[in-house]
Amino acid sequence: MGETLNALLHGFAVALTPMNLMWGFIGVTVGTAVGVLPGVGPALTVAMLLPLTVKLDPTGALIMFAGIYYGAMFGGSTTTILLNTPGESASIATALEGNKMAKRGRAGPALATAAIGSFVAGSIATLLLTLLAPLVVELALKFGPAEYFALMVFAFTTVAAVLGSSTARGLASLFLGLLFGLVGIDGQTGAPRFAFGVPELLDGIDVVVLAVGLFAVGEALYMAAYTSRLPETLEKISGSLMMSKQDWRRSWPAWLRATAIGFPFGTIPAGGAEIPTFLSYALEKKLTRHPEEFGKGAIEGVAGPEAANNASATGVLVPLLTLGIPTSATAAILLGAFQNYGIQPGPLLFQSQADLVWGLIASLYVGNVLLLILNLPLVGIWVKVLQIPRPKLYGGILVFATLGAYSLHQSWIDLVTLYVFGLLGFAMRRFDVPVAPAVIGLILGPLAETQFRRALSISQGDASVFVTQPISATFLAVTAALVIVPWLVRRRAAAQGRR
Amino acid sequence: MRRAPAEIALSAGVLGLGALAAVVTARLPGEGGYAGIGPNFIPAVVSGGLLVTGAWLLWEALAGGWRHRGEPEAGAEHAFDAAAFWWISAGLFAHMALIGWAGFVVAGTVLFSCVARGFGSARALRDAALGFALSLAVFAFFVKFLNVNLPAGWLQPLLGSAGI
Repeated sequence: MGETLNALLHGFAVALTPMNLMWGFIGVTVGTAVGVLPGVGPALTVAMLLPLTVKLDPTGALIMFAGIYYGAMFGGSTTTILLNTPGESASIATALEGNKMAKRGRAGPALATAAIGSFVAGSIATLLLTLLAPLVVELALKFGPAEYFALMVFAFTTVAAVLGSSTARGLASLFLGLLFGLVGIDGQTGAPRFAFGVPELLDGIDVVVLAVGLFAVGEALYMAAYTSRLPETLEKISGSLMMSKQDWRRSWPAWLRATAIGFPFGTIPAGGAEIPTFLSYALEKKLTRHPEEFGKGAIEGVAGPEAANNASATGVLVPLLTLGIPTSATAAILLGAFQNYGIQPGPLLFQSQADLVWGLIASLYVGNVLLLILNLPLVGIWVKVLQIPRPKLYGGILVFATLGAYSLHQSWIDLVTLYVFGLLGFAMRRFDVPVAPAVIGLILGPLAETQFRRALSISQGDASVFVTQPISATFLAVTAALVIVPWLVRRRAAAQGRR
Repeated sequence: MRRAPAEIALSAGVLGLGALAAVVTARLPGEGGYAGIGPNFIPAVVSGGLLVTGAWLLWEALAGGWRHRGEPEAGAEHAFDAAAFWWISAGLFAHMALIGWAGFVVAGTVLFSCVARGFGSARALRDAALGFALSLAVFAFFVKFLNVNLPAGWLQPLLGSAGI
């Protein structure tokens, strides 16, 4: 406990140096500005802004990225409330009530409860992260390759097969991601795989190209082909931003309840913030004393999901930092950013680069405060950003998207790859195929393969090692149960339905 | 029963990709040292996974369509606008062809103009001017402040003399 406090104080000393404070400030500002853009979610924001940090030292770059990550989340809620185009699935719950509030002329309080709720939830969740991370690290230090592999299989299974509307489509997305992850030189033997002699492919497929292709190019193709002839409606902010006494009274319990839901969901591989935001929405709808307002703009319905979204976004950092396992598409891209600097997050990082990790965690506290200060007073600017007409918006997005891909090797081959992923993203968007499993598969697949082969090397090729080690066996058993139990339940339900 | 040719085609695509991956995997080396498995083992697993999920999706598509597909809200989409789709694609193709030869700024201007056109903008000259200004600003920022190497191309004489 004392040790943690000490480490955290040390982290603040890192995060509060003028340079790092500035990177954090730039991060939250740019993150919010890009996150506000309609159709640009946190994953795309982080992926598009990755090239900005090429020349920074790792600590500064990662602090900037933490700022971008949080800022994108804040920006997204503004868009959802004023424009009703959720940039990501985690914002759908907010859109249900937030946009209705804006339509009733209560955009100000809706934005305020989202911003303050995100601050409260984000700060509590960061505190929980601070307390929990050292415990997980202690446990993770006992993990060998077999345990890591089993844990990764668990993560793959929940992200692809258990969550989402269709197991078949989730698995297809995962295996596509895993296939893309295999492209390049095999880390253990140096054998080229799936590169077809193309030098750009020997380096492997960069997570930025996949993410930007799926999210930016795919989205642009989809929006142009299916929505460009539809009119847009932007709600105006009329009246005060201030929340009334009643707004406060209805908001704060929702923030706290949502934090309690959001954080744990973030820490487990449950596909990010989608489930906790809906759970929080459902809970608030059940507990409210104003049920008649739900569906017409109830403030609890904004306060809860927004807080849950931020709490789970912070929770995601627990497995990312302590185990090196991304549980959402955005976390997978953040992991890619770490890898660009030759940093592999995990328990050892807390020992070998304590300054960096704790500086990053401290910067999360700082980032939350900066966002609270920045977001509400500057809301007028964000609204201007929101009003950029779609032709110019997507023109600009694609100029940036192609820049990120091209700057990898200064080669047009990467732009071809980007377009191919764009077509894939278009099809996945149109046919309701989840993209997160593909992004996670790309980045986690090679790590899982390494652990798998390492475990077998240690056991001299004896595959029973995965089921005889207790921790590994537990993960695999839970994974199997997660797949089999819902299937059995459905079968029973179907059988009873027929009777 | 719902017929969905696109779903059938996409499922077949996954299946085909799995088959292609399996063919490539068959030529990968298999010797594995202490682990007993080589660089071809996981590719074989992934190829198998693609074949199985591809077959599964194809079966779903043929037997009544993919399951639990979320339908967009009424009024959230219009019919497929092929012209818009191809304007975006054309912009990206032109960008690929131009960037190494004509430079980042020219390629960016063309890309921006085509995308704006795809989204229904009719003011081509204004879009081109905007795209040029944006690409030039991005070029200057990345080359000057971030030391990222981007091709100046046709504008080399102009940008060179500007000290960029």
